[in-house]
Amino acid sequence: MPLSLADFLFAVAAAAVVLLSLSVVLARSPVRSTLLLILSFVPVSLIYILLRAPFVGILQILVYAGAILMLFTFVIMMINPEPGVGEVPGEAGKPGQSRRGGFLVFLLLTGVGFVLIPPVRWAASHLPVATVDKPGFGGLNSLSRFIFADPADNPLTVSFELISFLILVGIIASINFSRREKPAAASPRKPGEN
Amino acid sequence: MTWFTLANCLTVSLLLVLIGAFGLLRRRSLILVLLSVEIILNGVNLAFIAFNYFRWGSEEAGHYLYMLSIGVAAVEAAVGLSMVIVLFRNYRDITRERIARLGEVEG
Repeated sequence: MPLSLADFLFAVAAAAVVLLSLSVVLARSPVRSTLLLILSFVPVSLIYILLRAPFVGILQILVYAGAILMLFTFVIMMINPEPGVGEVPGEAGKPGQSRRGGFLVFLLLTGVGFVLIPPVRWAASHLPVATVDKPGFGGLNSLSRFIFADPADNPLTVSFELISFLILVGIIASINFSRREKPAAASPRKPGEN
Repeated sequence: MTWFTLANCLTVSLLLVLIGAFGLLRRRSLILVLLSVEIILNGVNLAFIAFNYFRWGSEEAGHYLYMLSIGVAAVEAAVGLSMVIVLFRNYRDITRERIARLGEVEG
């Protein structure tokens, strides 16, 4: 079977994702890491569009890159850590020990990769492939019909709405963390007093 | 022989998880640790969407799981970053070594 355009786009996007993610982990400055991670979401979004998930691809850019990673950028600009100080593994504290630790972690993860990737590839290539047969698969219309159709006995609707409670808990936790003043201490009870 | 297969998508996803784990174990700044968690979540999301396309072509369960996952990622980033801000305000230091000594008296 000849290689199609989708194959080439997938190969380019996959290589770009892996290289950009590696450079995120290895970059010296936190600002550069965050911006590289935002950049690495563009080829991920391209892969999603190739996988016929256009709405998810748009969400990846809008929500992930536009909201969550911008939050990281704001926090980094707010606390303004000095670039390079204590950021590069092996250059802070005890250099030799740190570098050896980095090499051990690299060795461990490479070993895990060599153990895990071949069986996963073997299993994935032996699974029967189901073709997408639904018109408008992955679009907003089809997706919202899947989640919100017949809400009375669709468990997806309830669990989707329950995310809002999770976000509410997150908001309350963040506000609670960022309060400056201490809460008023309860007056200690004297012994013998009711 | 095509490149756009489930095996290749899962390989990219596994590589992203491993890269994120490397950052999680090696970077000293807490912000970089949170960014590594985002890379891991990104790999997992890619696996969801790939399985959905290659195996369940009739409904969008993987896309739904992706939406749950970015909800969790947003909350995790918000809470984690507010903790980073509080730690920075109190100690002027957000490296892992300082966090490991939380609660001890400054020497």
